[in-house]
Amino acid sequence: MLQRVAVIGLCLGILLPRAAPAAPPDKHPSLNLEGSKKALESGDETRALSALGEIEQSQDGRAAPLIDALLVRGASTKLLMRAIEVAGVLGQPSSSSALSPYTKHRSPEVRRAAARSLAHTKGRIAIQALRDALRGSDPALRGTAAEGLGTLGAKEAVPDLFVVLPKEVPEAAAAIGVLCRGDECKRFVGLLGKLPFEVMESGFLPLLLRAGSDAPNPVKLELIEQLRRLATQKASALLQTALASYPAEGDPQIRTAIDAALHGHSVTGGER
Amino acid sequence: MTGHGALAAGCLFALCVGCSASTVNSSTAFARDWQNDSGTSIAAVVQRLRGLPLVPNARVVVGLTEAGLVGVPLEGGSRWAYPSKPSSVPSIAGNLVIFSEGDHVVALHASSGAKAWSIDSQGLLLRGAANDGTTSALVLADAHQSQFVAVSASGARLGSAQTEAALGMPAARGGIAFVPWSEQYVSALELTSGNEAGRLLTRVQVSHALNYGGELYFGQQGLMRFDDKVRFASTNQANHVSLPKVDLPGKPSWLVSGLSNAPLTANARTKIRIFAAPATAASGALTLGAGTFVASYFRVIFGLDSLSGALAWVRTLPADIVGGAAARSGFVLCDTNGKVWLTDSAGGEARTLDLGSKISQCVADMGAESVPAAAPRGPLAAQIAGALDALEPDMAEAERYLVRELGKLPDPPVTQTLIELSSSPRIPPDLRIEARRLLALRTNGTDYMLAALARHYDFVSGVLLPPPVGPLADALSASGETRAAPLLAKHLNDPANSADDVAHAARALVKLATPAEYEDLRTFFALYRATADDEALIAAVVACAEALLRVGGDAARAVVERGAQDPLTQGDVRRALPGVLSKAAPVAPPAPRAGETAGALPETPPK
Repeated sequence: MLQRVAVIGLCLGILLPRAAPAAPPDKHPSLNLEGSKKALESGDETRALSALGEIEQSQDGRAAPLIDALLVRGASTKLLMRAIEVAGVLGQPSSSSALSPYTKHRSPEVRRAAARSLAHTKGRIAIQALRDALRGSDPALRGTAAEGLGTLGAKEAVPDLFVVLPKEVPEAAAAIGVLCRGDECKRFVGLLGKLPFEVMESGFLPLLLRAGSDAPNPVKLELIEQLRRLATQKASALLQTALASYPAEGDPQIRTAIDAALHGHSVTGGER
Repeated sequence: MTGHGALAAGCLFALCVGCSASTVNSSTAFARDWQNDSGTSIAAVVQRLRGLPLVPNARVVVGLTEAGLVGVPLEGGSRWAYPSKPSSVPSIAGNLVIFSEGDHVVALHASSGAKAWSIDSQGLLLRGAANDGTTSALVLADAHQSQFVAVSASGARLGSAQTEAALGMPAARGGIAFVPWSEQYVSALELTSGNEAGRLLTRVQVSHALNYGGELYFGQQGLMRFDDKVRFASTNQANHVSLPKVDLPGKPSWLVSGLSNAPLTANARTKIRIFAAPATAASGALTLGAGTFVASYFRVIFGLDSLSGALAWVRTLPADIVGGAAARSGFVLCDTNGKVWLTDSAGGEARTLDLGSKISQCVADMGAESVPAAAPRGPLAAQIAGALDALEPDMAEAERYLVRELGKLPDPPVTQTLIELSSSPRIPPDLRIEARRLLALRTNGTDYMLAALARHYDFVSGVLLPPPVGPLADALSASGETRAAPLLAKHLNDPANSADDVAHAARALVKLATPAEYEDLRTFFALYRATADDEALIAAVVACAEALLRVGGDAARAVVERGAQDPLTQGDVRRALPGVLSKAAPVAPPAPRAGETAGALPETPPK
């Protein structure tokens, strides 16, 4: 359930019109940038960790270059993990360059943390690093990378996501559900029945809830019809969740089709 | 034989063997009180047989099946079958195939499988048989006694002799049977009487008398020819040929002891054997046929140089090899599927025959003939690669041998094969390690190495093993191949590579790196100077610092100096860096600028 809520959140976050981002405050009186810089360069782990805590609390984007510099210089694992995390919290695109090498660190924890943060710092560098991570030897990292690529709207990664989807990277389904276009969505729906429902499930909700022409209505209707025909508890639950969370401004045809399917009616003119 | 023993043997023989009116029981054969005559008596036998035509055995393959015997004449003719429950491995003796069956010894015509004769075996099993073109010489034995019996073409018993000593495999020529015994004698027995016409004393192990194309040979570990020089065998001056000492998979034997009966049930030893035939070279010297012998290891055949033992060729068959023979040039081998493979001396497939059913083992004789040359099979490296590809992981011993042999070949494509083996999930780990060791020593095939280094682990593309970065780094570093530098630098920061491989790559970059690799080197140094957690990675970081200092100018020195000063830098790394710094000549005298702190040292790459 939590996963479903998270997926809905992801969908809505990506798909719904966004409010204009608030301009970052120019100045955070609570953060002493010079002091933070000195602490991060001190070679004193405790002092540096404390500075990172202050930066995280302030959420002052101006501190991002200080963290980037720390990452470029290198540090102990403990300090790196924290710096990577705070860089993600600050979410400055400029940090992606400093973070990306860490997706190839030999420590699994470090590289997974870097991949998570890159989903927040965004940008072309982040996307490329996550695409590379999808090709890597770390299964958990591949999952994190797939999620991140979905979050970052990396449509160019969809072919790779299709490759990894049946290879124990179920996170790729959610990303494909968010990112696919036209025939890609059709291909994705076509995998229903070929791959386990549990693998595919996380991609269906975002696909159904998406607005716009990238995810064509006929594909959505086909998906709804297939879910209806499955007639399993999980398929019905998914349709119910889709109906309950369907955006008010979403396409009425799809909403009606979901409702019809839940009442056992065919939505593609086939069997009833 | 002692007087008492001879008497006892004579009485026993009178009781057991005297059932044929024509049988003559020798009382002189196998006497133990015989004195070394320095080759006089055997020289007389040589003299007696001189000028007689050679009588080779029939060219035939005979297999043991569940239903009996099947045979295929090699000179042409139909396959035959003889329903039977043989109790001994058959022997090809002249134009006959002779074996034990129940209480009898049976002889079949080798060309047709038709029964020629059958005699009572007196409760003994056939150990070996020979034929001089007219008369057969049999050695029958059990665990306690051996008996020599001569049998006429019509099946009548002729001369015979019995002893408590174990007799070996006989040969025959011109009315004389040659019977090895006691591992050092070959008694020449009159076929008509069983009497001993001469005796050979050897200083090498002897349990087989063999007929190769009509020429006779005696021995076990090696063979001596029955010729004018055989009289000098007691002083090791006979014409002698032996196999070179080679460490082959399964430690195959050429001629196992002929002093015991060959097992009727096939076992691993049946499938791990050496097939070699002595032959006289144009120079008159005694050699092994066409300079090659073969060793079988289940379904693999190794062709080996008869002088050096070096691998000359290899091929795999679809099923395990359970018998065969060497020809004057080439080989005939049978597999458990009943298929008979005739290969030339280079392993080329000249011809195949079919015994028609599965077999447990086979015997074969090629007489004095050679297998005709077949189409060439391509370079040895490719043959080895093909064989390795065809073998299952449980053939590790053969694979190990082949990999070792592969490493000895200078051909550049060998490098490619070693790269593939180093990264192959199909072969056992220890073999992969051996392939890596050999790869590190390669001095050619550079383009294959560079192409391999260009690959990385790639889950999306299905490349699920990284290339053997460490051995490639070693080999390319040894040859000073700077084209490898950017590829090695990329591998530094690929966590799919083992720490050990990364250490080798870093070490190679100390020699090969150019300023173009600065960024990869700096990244690696930054990522691991404070997080290196094993010996290999620590060594890699230190080597990386060395490479940085060599190519990175002031910027690199600043990076390394900072690493040396930073308390967060891993202890061993930190202790090593001052040495690295002092070894590397400063690019420019340090000129600290006002207000500059250690933390503000430049990280930008050199231009």
